Amino acid sequence: MKLDGQVALVTGASRGIGRAVAQALAAEGAAVGVNYRSGREQAEEVVAAIEQAGGKAAAIPGDVSEYEQAESIVKQAVEELGGLHILVNNAGIAKDTLIYNMDPGDWLDVMRVNFGGVFNCTKASLAHFGAQREGVIVNMSSVMGEVGWIGESNYSASKGAVNAFTRCCAVELARFGIRVNAVLPGFVPTDMVAGLAGKEGGKGILKQLPMRSFADVEQVASTTVFLAGPDSSYMTGSLLTVDGGARAQLGVGKPL
Amino acid sequence: MADVDSAVKEAVVEALALDDDEVTPESTLMDDLGAESIDLLDILFRIEKSTGVKIEASDLGDYIQGGIPDDEFSDENEVITAKGAEHLSKVMPQTNASDLEGTLKAEEVMSLFTVQNLGEMVKSRDGAGG
Repeated sequence: MKLDGQVALVTGASRGIGRAVAQALAAEGAAVGVNYRSGREQAEEVVAAIEQAGGKAAAIPGDVSEYEQAESIVKQAVEELGGLHILVNNAGIAKDTLIYNMDPGDWLDVMRVNFGGVFNCTKASLAHFGAQREGVIVNMSSVMGEVGWIGESNYSASKGAVNAFTRCCAVELARFGIRVNAVLPGFVPTDMVAGLAGKEGGKGILKQLPMRSFADVEQVASTTVFLAGPDSSYMTGSLLTVDGGARAQLGVGKPL
Repeated sequence: MADVDSAVKEAVVEALALDDDEVTPESTLMDDLGAESIDLLDILFRIEKSTGVKIEASDLGDYIQGGIPDDEFSDENEVITAKGAEHLSKVMPQTNASDLEGTLKAEEVMSLFTVQNLGEMVKSRDGAGG
């Protein structure tokens, strides 16, 4: 298996994309720290599922938006799983609303978790990665960080920050043997975006997607495993879209 | 502790992409070899990996200043005091306290730090249990 002997930490791994990433990394042989903020039972289910499949995992509590907690999350992963080689900064929230109606606190909350969490866990891992001169970071971003949509200004800005940070991190950390890339999913029907796909099963969106289907969390997870593993060993600073062609399309509807 | 000296030299050579004969114990890291802050971090990570001795970049300044408060280490013009100069000549024995006192700017202190001085620092940390 490609990740035998490796230890991975996935933030926000109790459900959604993070859960799928944790399980996919474990399926390649990595021991996985399943971080959660409030979903302890769900995180324990993920750990149990990994263990049932013959893997190794540990549930790790902590809020990535607080630096001290990010430090403790990294420390627990190292102590409980015997090291750290892969960090997947996945934890994220959405508070979609029109700018006109947006509570000033809502942009900050989204920024603190989506970008602050990436910053905090990255910084908290550096001493460990640098000393072993080996480390891989995969940031879960979004195509929404590159383009915009009505009602997504705070989320989009936070993911745009993640993309910019990914590039800077890649450049700054390359000489310490640390690779940093990002995955930019398009539409993935998880709890976080339930509101988007909710209307008639998201039919209006589906019609406009070149591949005419939403992504499964497993399809995002497999790209994440690729970026975390040896198959991408010369890649750093890349933003990989996993969006069924959405980002490639000129979005003005059908020409015919 | 010859192995520490060679580990330090190897870290400097590799981090700065220099030839082996370009790095001597007397070379100053910043002035002679052109190390910048990211290079120092790289050197310290490499030393940590090869020797197990962890030194934070911020430890370098603390080691050089030896815990002397800023206002005793340098005067109101940011020039090194007699007390500061005396300490510097201990951690950097190639310097002479009387040459430094009253002439060396506090911000230039780091520029005198040599490969040998770094090696001694690593040894002192190693002896202290890392």
